[in-house]
Amino acid sequence: MDANVLSVSQYLQIVNAVLREHVPSGEIVVEGEISGFTVKDGKWIIFDLKDEQDAKTKVACFGTTYKILGAFENGMKVRVFGYPTVKPWSTFQIDVQRIDPVGEGALKRAYELLKKKLEAEGLFDAGRKRALPRFPERIGLITSRDAAAYGDFLRILNNRWGGVEVAFCSVRVQGKDAVSEILEAFDAFDAMSPEERPDLLVLTRGGGSLEDLHAFNDEAVARAVYGSKIPVVCGVGHERDESLCDFVADVRASTPSNAAERVVPNRRDMDYEIAMMTRRAEERLFEIAAHHKRMVERATRTVSFALDRERQRMLVLSRRSQDAFASWASRLRDRVLSYDRVLRQLDPTRVLARGYSIVTVGGRVVADASLLEIGAEIAVQLSRGSVDAEVIRTNGKGKQKMI
Amino acid sequence: MAKGKINFQKAIEELEAITEWFEGTEVDLDEGLKKFERALELASACKEKMDEFENKVKEIKKKFADI
Repeated sequence: MDANVLSVSQYLQIVNAVLREHVPSGEIVVEGEISGFTVKDGKWIIFDLKDEQDAKTKVACFGTTYKILGAFENGMKVRVFGYPTVKPWSTFQIDVQRIDPVGEGALKRAYELLKKKLEAEGLFDAGRKRALPRFPERIGLITSRDAAAYGDFLRILNNRWGGVEVAFCSVRVQGKDAVSEILEAFDAFDAMSPEERPDLLVLTRGGGSLEDLHAFNDEAVARAVYGSKIPVVCGVGHERDESLCDFVADVRASTPSNAAERVVPNRRDMDYEIAMMTRRAEERLFEIAAHHKRMVERATRTVSFALDRERQRMLVLSRRSQDAFASWASRLRDRVLSYDRVLRQLDPTRVLARGYSIVTVGGRVVADASLLEIGAEIAVQLSRGSVDAEVIRTNGKGKQKMI
Repeated sequence: MAKGKINFQKAIEELEAITEWFEGTEVDLDEGLKKFERALELASACKEKMDEFENKVKEIKKKFADI
């Protein structure tokens, strides 16, 4: 009987085809403990999955860091999802698609390891955290419509502030689809045009166990928060809960309600703030007005004081000038009187009264006898009355004196 | 300023700038009166905006949801 002759490659192809067809890989996961865990060149993940009961029984596992996110270490209990393959070098291995830590202990450990890894990469750096706008007009909300978080967030938002448009993207926040739906939501917001893009994103859900919160501790989700073009506020769980998304987010809120408090101001606070600002401006304005008033008053006082002083000076001056005038006037009168006396002495009528006479010819006073002709008529003015006479002799010459 | 159509952020920033201006030492009375009038206008516009109590919720589709 002739057997079919196959090459080694052909043989392995058949084996792999059978493995693929008959192992129900889509429906099973293999649970075991990680040992010999290595990451080669930052790309290849290689480890053995040990049977928990029998340490000698193990299967080789192979995966890529591109596909498998998270952090693992030896001794960690995990569930591996992947496809069985026999490699050309005859190794049987599982091509790993996903690794899920099992149990609270492993989850915690995986969480711690991943946290350390992301922190070392700088995803939590305070320096890269973006500030939120003080008064957002559009808020992107990523949460489940069915979660209490949804109602809490919107209620507190409404209590505090109005006129905001909430672009809501409903996602599952736990279970196996949570991660992919949250990632899609981030993609949807990132793909928006700058005009319709919200001012900030809020990723939120209520509290829960580490297993419930797994989507918020997922490396891909953490990286989506990190890579978001829009600032992200993360509010997960109760006060004490923490998630990796919290650390990566630009702003960490403690609860869904707190997220609302972090993204919008409170009407009452703003009312008070605005009132304080206008009041401060008003007070300053009054201060300035009062200052001006004081200046005007001071100027008025200064001016009236100067006027007073001037009036006083004028008074003194006028008094002095009056005095001066009075003394001047009396001196003037004295002088006038003395002139009067002199003038009176010179009065010709007073001279005539003393017995002198004035001789005139044709109205002109004659003072020289030689100028008179013999026989000329002269007028002689006496103190009382006048005499007309004829010259009979001048200076002894003329008509003989009758002796 | 159109009614209810103010940019709250800008209005508050302007109000803060005016308040700051008033804190300065050299304040002119005429200028001060003008600015104070503006401050009151901004404050009342802000208050009007704060009287809006409604927030609108609009659901958006995830982009790759149907792929």
